[in-house]
Amino acid sequence: MMNKKVSYKLPRNLLVLFELMALLLLFIYDKDNLDKLTIIYGITLIFIVYISNFILLRISTGDSYIFLIVTMLISIGVIMIYRIDPLLGIKQVLWIGMGIIIFFITYFFFKKIKGWEEWIWLYGISSIILFIMTLLLGTRTKGSINWITIGRFGFQPSEIIKILAIFLISSYYANYEKYKEKKYGPYYLMGIMYIFIMFLFLQRDLGAVLIFYSLFLALQFIYEENRKLVLYNLLIFIVSGTLGYFIFPHVKIRFETWLNPWKYIDNKGYQITQSLFAIAEGGFFGTGIGLGYPDFIPEVHTDFIFSAICEEMGIFTGIGIIMLFLILVYRGFKIAIKQEIKFYRIVALGISILFGIQSFIIFGGVLKMIPLTGITIPFVSYGGSSMLSSFIALGILQVASEELDFEVEKDG
Amino acid sequence: MYNIFSLIFKYVFIVIIYLFILSIIRLIYLDIKGIDTAPLDDSSYLKLVNKKDTLPFKVKEYYHLADEAYLGRGKDNEIMIKDPYISKKHLRIVKDEGDYYLEDLNSANGTYLNGDKIMDVAQLKNGDRIRIGQVEFLYVGRE
Repeated sequence: MMNKKVSYKLPRNLLVLFELMALLLLFIYDKDNLDKLTIIYGITLIFIVYISNFILLRISTGDSYIFLIVTMLISIGVIMIYRIDPLLGIKQVLWIGMGIIIFFITYFFFKKIKGWEEWIWLYGISSIILFIMTLLLGTRTKGSINWITIGRFGFQPSEIIKILAIFLISSYYANYEKYKEKKYGPYYLMGIMYIFIMFLFLQRDLGAVLIFYSLFLALQFIYEENRKLVLYNLLIFIVSGTLGYFIFPHVKIRFETWLNPWKYIDNKGYQITQSLFAIAEGGFFGTGIGLGYPDFIPEVHTDFIFSAICEEMGIFTGIGIIMLFLILVYRGFKIAIKQEIKFYRIVALGISILFGIQSFIIFGGVLKMIPLTGITIPFVSYGGSSMLSSFIALGILQVASEELDFEVEKDG
Repeated sequence: MYNIFSLIFKYVFIVIIYLFILSIIRLIYLDIKGIDTAPLDDSSYLKLVNKKDTLPFKVKEYYHLADEAYLGRGKDNEIMIKDPYISKKHLRIVKDEGDYYLEDLNSANGTYLNGDKIMDVAQLKNGDRIRIGQVEFLYVGRE
């Protein structure tokens, strides 16, 4: 027992040490335009992260690793963002603070309220309302309409819809017996998911299409009893992928730059080649923070943060991030296996798959392993909506990791 | 000056990140080791083999068999399963001269051994499947 307590402390202290050293380094780096507020923000963040890790161990009987892993990912990300652009870095610190608060709110809220599996219509309808709002009020950035701007703040509804979609699929499969009885019952879910995907196609948000599709396929593959549906879905996936290649010039460019970016190095292949240069430049140990040139890559603070990290902190840190995601996804699967209530189990599985797929798509993309699709790395990239929705997902995962014993004690 | 700092720190960062990952993996390893897995001693046991994904009552993965074990819904059984299709005292597994025997205690829904309903007593062989209520067990006998 004693041994266990000590070893819980070790990763937590390592995290604080890492953050303090990084803070020191960044302040030396940026000493010319440093004000008091920045220092306060930095120290507050470290404090919040430490305290939340500490509190969580007390209040939650569930998994105590996922939050720890996530805070490490966040620290690496925010260091890099601050180095690229101090202003964005400070904003990111604020987002993280809000994210952690939202994590705890979600944790209590989701734990307190019961009967989530009954509200399938609510999830479906609110998703569709959000989609329609995006189409009507959305502003077009980089070829896709996925932002709603209200006043000074913009947010991406598709980040919230991801979680709603997981809830929708989970409540469908948790009540599978009921829907199976109905006529065309098995096709309901497919219909709704295809409506979602159609909306995303209309927004030209191809990264989100890929995420939704793979999430749906994965959960359907696990829980669908009618195996033919899985096959249909795969066929539609392949056909629509091929069609997309010919219809959207957007997709075609992505494929061409994936196969040979060097031919288009001066225009459409510029981003990916710069990313490859940056990773190669870094080598095993990197150039050191502040000594590389990650600014050469367009969109380096969101989609391409991984390349910047590889350049300045070395490919070892890059592998470290991938390993952290591996452990996170592994923990998610373990939580799903241990959870006894079906709805929570599917939700846990969905969230782990979401984290896994999202990181796979973007890591593969920036390393030129798969065609590039611009999405954010959960917890690492700059971005308010991405950060908040990832923290909501994490809060739900934390609840799912606990032994929830309502509805179990029924004496027969 | 800053360059030297940065050069030193990059190695330290990598070391810290890997130490962090290793310490978490170590914790997870300890966690996994703590889970009750297959029994390592020589006793015979029942292993749950269920086709249903979730059951509305608690069933353990393994049940060790002593010389005599009662299975049923009531609290005084060695193996208690709160399945409504299982009787209060459902069956008895008893050891006699090294062999295990399965005896149905006039249960309402019966006990099935490899798919056949048993009437009174049957001898258990390694690999037999015992189905009661909504659950199915695999009998693993060790000599």
